[in-house]
Amino acid sequence: MSRLVAVAANTFRETVRERVLYNLVLFALVMTLSGLLLGQLSIRQDEKIIKDIGLAAMELFGTLIAVFIGTGLVSKEIERRSLFPLLAKPLSRGELFLGKFAGLAFTLLVNVAVMTAGLFLTLLATAGRADALLLAAIVPIYLGLLLVVAFAMLFSSLTSSTLAAVFTVGIAVAGRFTDMVRNLSEVAPAAPRWLGPALYAALPNFANFDLKDRVAYGDPVPATVLVWIAVYALAWIGIVLGLGLAAFRTRDFQ
Amino acid sequence: MPENESRPAIETRGLSKSYRTGHVIQGRRAALQDLDLEVRRGEILGYVGPNGSGKTTTLKLLIGLLKPDRGEAFVLGDPAVSRSWRYRAGYLPEHPYLYDYLTPAEYLDYVGRLFGYPAAKRRERARELLALVGLERSANVPMRRFSKGMVQRAGLAQALVNDPELLILDEPMSGLDPIGRRLARRIIVDQHRAGKTVLFSTHILTDAETLCDRVAVLRGGRLLRVGPLGELLRLDVEHMDVLVAGLSEDGARLPDVDRVERVGDRLRLQVREAGLGRTIVGIESAGGRVLGVQPVRQTLEDYFMREMGGSAGGVGAWGEG
Repeated sequence: MSRLVAVAANTFRETVRERVLYNLVLFALVMTLSGLLLGQLSIRQDEKIIKDIGLAAMELFGTLIAVFIGTGLVSKEIERRSLFPLLAKPLSRGELFLGKFAGLAFTLLVNVAVMTAGLFLTLLATAGRADALLLAAIVPIYLGLLLVVAFAMLFSSLTSSTLAAVFTVGIAVAGRFTDMVRNLSEVAPAAPRWLGPALYAALPNFANFDLKDRVAYGDPVPATVLVWIAVYALAWIGIVLGLGLAAFRTRDFQ
Repeated sequence: MPENESRPAIETRGLSKSYRTGHVIQGRRAALQDLDLEVRRGEILGYVGPNGSGKTTTLKLLIGLLKPDRGEAFVLGDPAVSRSWRYRAGYLPEHPYLYDYLTPAEYLDYVGRLFGYPAAKRRERARELLALVGLERSANVPMRRFSKGMVQRAGLAQALVNDPELLILDEPMSGLDPIGRRLARRIIVDQHRAGKTVLFSTHILTDAETLCDRVAVLRGGRLLRVGPLGELLRLDVEHMDVLVAGLSEDGARLPDVDRVERVGDRLRLQVREAGLGRTIVGIESAGGRVLGVQPVRQTLEDYFMREMGGSAGGVGAWGEG
């Protein structure tokens, strides 16, 4: 366990020293603050617009961080061979893989926390109050980001960092349009009828993590909904990480 | 003595590995075939062979970076796949890439954490090792600013963090300047003196010649020979090299001289050992001065050139050293 924590701590250090991380977080905060301008253009809608834009920025830039840093974490290690000396130490491949996931999960947690603080401060400055209900949308966003990281690590265990990024973005996008995927035969009549339902079953439904509109409108979110979202996310993360781990443990490092 | 302690430091039986080639039409290329090798405890074994002969593949199979097609390997008495021997061994990969966002002090601290050392011990060990490899003044410089040689030194340091019984070094002199090479040689010799086992691969034959108790020669993925240098090479003197001044080339063509070569304003004579005395008298009688006499024995390179002569990918790959 201490080795896993050591890998996670080093991964966190690695990611916080990535310049791309700061650029993305800065972008997200700027986008949140831009809600202030847009809010002034619409009558009595400023608070909702700030929430909408703030949550959307958190999801979009969080996904970009998860994809680009997540794919780099494993595939860069393999391509640059920096894992060679580490795997000669008493460190198993599983500990290295899961430690990297834990490190990036913590990095994303810190990023989401920074973006949440930025959103709350913007709301305090405009509406005079920070809505704690926003957390009901932010927690599912974070769980969705963890699932994106799990996919990024799975793909980067199997292929190059570029292809891993393409596949991960593909899953993250397709997973947000699963209803369209299910009815694929209506959109693309030439496609086999079984393909849509098969893809629907194989893809995680990222729309399940999207409570942004509901929270922005002030609709309450029952605790049971959040629990089910957490169970759904953890089940998917477990499956995807398990597949990634199996690929990472069995592959040759030439 | 526990059973494991009496076993060789490294033992392989029938170890074989092939790589997939081609994307469309797939085939396999044998990188290592039926390797039976023993590295004895306390020895320095040089693992030599031209590029592509299977040296790095062997070391990666031992470390577990590659899975063998067949055969088995044991390190410090334990199966190579197990974790236990890794507490007692150090490994330096070929052309190591260490995290360039870390300083060497941070990297060594990280490695120390993987061994479960407490913070004070990690700090102490990092200080010692950075001094040993001559990086104490760069302890807090990110490794992205390091030259190749400095990274190699940091790589050597990380291999020594746990004061290992066994060092597995893949081309340890690669990328090092002459000072760095001398340092790496000194580290290997010091480890040997302390009773440690060293297995190092190299294609620089002079390194193997000056450092090793035994040498294993690999060609085309097969072990050609393994043994003490004295067994591999003919250690009796082949001829004497005599360096002479004040003599013309014609004047140097004495009965026991097989070859005359001009080196600046001097001559180097290749003299048969039995006729050395007569030749020296002859040189002095003709007005020349003998500046130096050196016995010449067969080198590992001579041996290797003889063994590899004419084989594909053999001789041509031995550019250095």
